[in-house]
Amino acid sequence: MKKLLALCLMAFTTSALADYIFVVPQKPGAGTSQWAAIIAEQLEPFLGEKITIKHIPGARDIPGFNEFHNSLRTSDKIVMVSHGGNGVSFLQENVDYDYNDYDSIGLMNLNIIAGKAIGADMTYPTFAAGSGMVPEAFAMTLLICGPDKTMNYYIACFKDHVTWVNGMSGGERRLAFKRGELNGTRENPAAYKKHVEPNDKAEIWFHHGILQADGSHADDLNYPGFQLEIMFKELYGVEPSGEFYDAYKLVKSFRDGMQKALWVNKGNPNAFVLQNALTAMSQDVDAQIAIEAKVGQYEWKIGADGDAHRDTLMSFITEDALRNLIKFNTEALGLASVYKEELLIKN
Amino acid sequence: MIIALLLGTLYGLIIGLIPAAGATTGLVVLFGFMSYFSDPYLGVIFCMAVVAASTTGDTYSGILLGIPGANSAAATMVDGHPLAKQGKATYALTAAITTSTVNGLLWGTLTFALLPWYTKLMMVFGVPEMWAFVMLALACVGFVSNRFWIRSLIAILIGLFLGSIGTDPVTNADRWTFGWEYLGAGIQIMPMVAGLFAFPEILDGWRKKDRTTIPHNTKGQTLDGIKAAWKYRWDSIRGGAIGAFIGFLPGLGGAMGDWMAYGSAVAANPNEEFGNGNIRGVIGSEGANNSQKATSMIPTVLFGIPGASFAAVLMALFMTLGFELGTPDLAYDTRFFDSLTFGFMWATVLVGILCIVFNRYISKISSWPYKYYFPILVVFITWACAQYTGGWEDYAILILCSALGVFCKQYKYSRPALLMAFILAIKVETLTLQLSALYTIDTLMTRPIFIILIITIIAMAALSIRKNKLEYA
Repeated sequence: MKKLLALCLMAFTTSALADYIFVVPQKPGAGTSQWAAIIAEQLEPFLGEKITIKHIPGARDIPGFNEFHNSLRTSDKIVMVSHGGNGVSFLQENVDYDYNDYDSIGLMNLNIIAGKAIGADMTYPTFAAGSGMVPEAFAMTLLICGPDKTMNYYIACFKDHVTWVNGMSGGERRLAFKRGELNGTRENPAAYKKHVEPNDKAEIWFHHGILQADGSHADDLNYPGFQLEIMFKELYGVEPSGEFYDAYKLVKSFRDGMQKALWVNKGNPNAFVLQNALTAMSQDVDAQIAIEAKVGQYEWKIGADGDAHRDTLMSFITEDALRNLIKFNTEALGLASVYKEELLIKN
Repeated sequence: MIIALLLGTLYGLIIGLIPAAGATTGLVVLFGFMSYFSDPYLGVIFCMAVVAASTTGDTYSGILLGIPGANSAAATMVDGHPLAKQGKATYALTAAITTSTVNGLLWGTLTFALLPWYTKLMMVFGVPEMWAFVMLALACVGFVSNRFWIRSLIAILIGLFLGSIGTDPVTNADRWTFGWEYLGAGIQIMPMVAGLFAFPEILDGWRKKDRTTIPHNTKGQTLDGIKAAWKYRWDSIRGGAIGAFIGFLPGLGGAMGDWMAYGSAVAANPNEEFGNGNIRGVIGSEGANNSQKATSMIPTVLFGIPGASFAAVLMALFMTLGFELGTPDLAYDTRFFDSLTFGFMWATVLVGILCIVFNRYISKISSWPYKYYFPILVVFITWACAQYTGGWEDYAILILCSALGVFCKQYKYSRPALLMAFILAIKVETLTLQLSALYTIDTLMTRPIFIILIITIIAMAALSIRKNKLEYA
C-alpha cells in the first residue's frame, strides 16, 4: 500500500511540475493520443523538461483543437497535437482552428495504404464509409471510372459501383475485411503491416503517395508501383488530371500530409527550443524505432520545413477543388460537408 | 511480479467498489503511471490484475447499495439488492463472488490456453449475427427485467434516442445536440449509469434517513453462499458460457452478457419468482461477469480489435508499454502471454479469497445509516463522472441523467432497459446500416445462426409478455 501511495504521490508531483502541455483532441487510448504519448516520452530527454498530455475529447476531435485555437494557444508552453482527420475537417466542416495561425514544430508526412481481397473484383468494391475515407472514395472512383469525366459522371459512377458501408468503426472494418464482408480496406502504414500484410487472403490495392515540397506526390518506397497516379497511368495511358483529380489531391494531402503534427501559436518564443529538441529526437535511432512502431517509417518535417509543407497544402485550396470536394462528399458519400468560402479568402 | 499482482488487485478492488466506476475507469486513470514500470511485463500483470479485481469488486455496490459498480453489474442488482435488504447481503455477495471467481478461472483457463485456436470460430460471426445478438440483448432486458413491457419499450426508445445523440454515422454531422458542442461526442456512459442508478438510490436512502437493511446476523451466510453457488451450478455455468460467448464477440460484452445470462436464468426457471431476492438471479448474472472479461481478450489479443470498452483502453496501455496487440510478433512472445494469464488468473483467485473472507465485514455497510457514507459515495461517483472533460458540462449531464433516473424509478420505467438501449443505440444503428448495405433477405436466409437468434428473440418476447411478473425498474 505504501508503494501504491508513493506511486500516486510521484505521479501527482510530476504532473504539478510539468513544463509543457501537449493538447490532444481525443480520449486517452485513441490513435493520436498514443502517438502523442510516445512522442512526449521520447522528446522529454532532448527537451530537458517534462511534458504532460491534456486530453480534450469531443465530436470528430474538433472541440479540443478549437479550444487550443480560441483560448489555449496564447500560452507559450502549450503545444497542439493534431492528426489527418483534423485536416479533412478543416476543409469541409465549420471549425474555428486555422493552420495559418500557427508555427509548425514538426509533422510526419505519411501515406495511407489500401488493401484488397486477393481475386476480388475491384470494379465493384465494398468499402467501409466515413469522412476519414474520403480520399479512398476519390481514388477508387478514379481507378474504376477512368479519365476525363464530369463531376456528375464520377458521382453516378461511384454510386453504381461502390458499396459504401456506413457506420463501421476501425475494429469492425478490420474484422469485416478479414471475414470477407468487405473486399477493400485501408490502414496507416504501421496498421497495414499489422492487419493486412499478415492476411494471406489480402494484398495491396493502392496507396496515395507521399507529398513532396513541389506539391507533387512521390511513390512510397515501402510499396513501389502502387501509387494511385502510377496505377492510373498504367490502366488508362494518361496521368490523372482534371477537376475530380484536383479535389482528390486536395483532400488526400490534407489528411496524409499532416497525419500527425505538432503546432504552437505563431510567434511562440519556445518554438525554436521545441524544434531543436524534435530535430535531435528525430536523429536518435532508439527514439525513431519507438515512434516508427506506431506509424511506420516516414520522414519528419520540422520547423520551417513544416511551415513550408503547410503552405504547399494551402496552395491546393482552389475554388473548384473545394467545391468539387464538397459536391462529391454530399452527393456521392452522403456527408454533411459545408463549402467554406473563407478558406479561399485566407489562402 | 507478486508486488505488481498485489498492487493491481488492491487498486482494482478499490475501483470496483466505487459505484458507477469499473474496469474502464480504473484503467484510464493508469495512463500517467505506465512509465514507472521498469519491466513492461510487470505492467501487463498489473493491468490484468486491475481488470480481474475491479470486475469482481463491482458486485458490492450493486448488491449492498442497489447501485451498479459498473454498467455490467446492473443485472446482479435486480435480485442481489433485495437479498441485502432482507439481511442476506453476505449470502448474496459470497454466492456472487464464488460464481464470478469460478467462471473467471474456468473461462480464463480456456481463453488463455486456447487463444490461438479461436481465430476461425470468430470468422463465423458476421454483421447479421452481431445485429441479431444486439436485438436479443434488448429483448432480454426489455422483456425480462420488467413485466410492464410497454413501459420497457418506452424506456428502450428513450435509451435509443439518448444514445443516438452525438454524431450521425452517415452524414458525420452533429445530431440532436441542440447546438451544444459538448454533446457532439454523445452523452458519456458514466453519468448515465450514475444518474440512472446511483443518485436515485442515494436520494431514496437519504429521504428515508435510515439504513439500507436492519442489522443482521451474518453468521453462516458465507458458507450458505458457497453452497448456493454449488447448488445452482448450472445457472452459474450457463451464465458463464453466455458471458464468455458475448465477450468473445468484439464490441458487445459488458452489460449485454450479464443481462442475457440473467434472462436465461429467469427463462430456465419459469416457476420461480425473480426480482425479490432469488439467489439464482444473482448466480445467473454473475456467471457472466468475469467470464466475459476473460474472453473479450481473444479479439483484443489476436486481432488488435478491442472486445469491449475496457479492452480498448487496455490496448492503449499495452501500447505505452511497448506491446502492440494483434501483431504477429507478439504471438511468439511467450512471456507476454504468461504475464496476461498470471495477472488475470491469480488476481481472480486473490480477489475471490479476499472478498469471501471479508464479505461478512464489508456487508455490514448496508446496515449503517445512509448519512454516514452517502457523502463519500457522492464524491466518488461525481469524480468518476467528471473523468471525461472535467468541465461543468460533465456535472450538468450528471444532473440531467439523475433526474431521468429518479423519474424512471418513480414511475417504473425499466432503468436497465433504458441503460442497455443507451449503450447499444449506436450499435443498433450502425449494424442496421451495415446489414442493409451488405445483405438482402435472401442472403440472410442462408445464415442459420441469424435465423435461430431471430426465432429466440420472438419466443422470448412472447413468453415474457405472458408470464413475466418482475417489477424491477
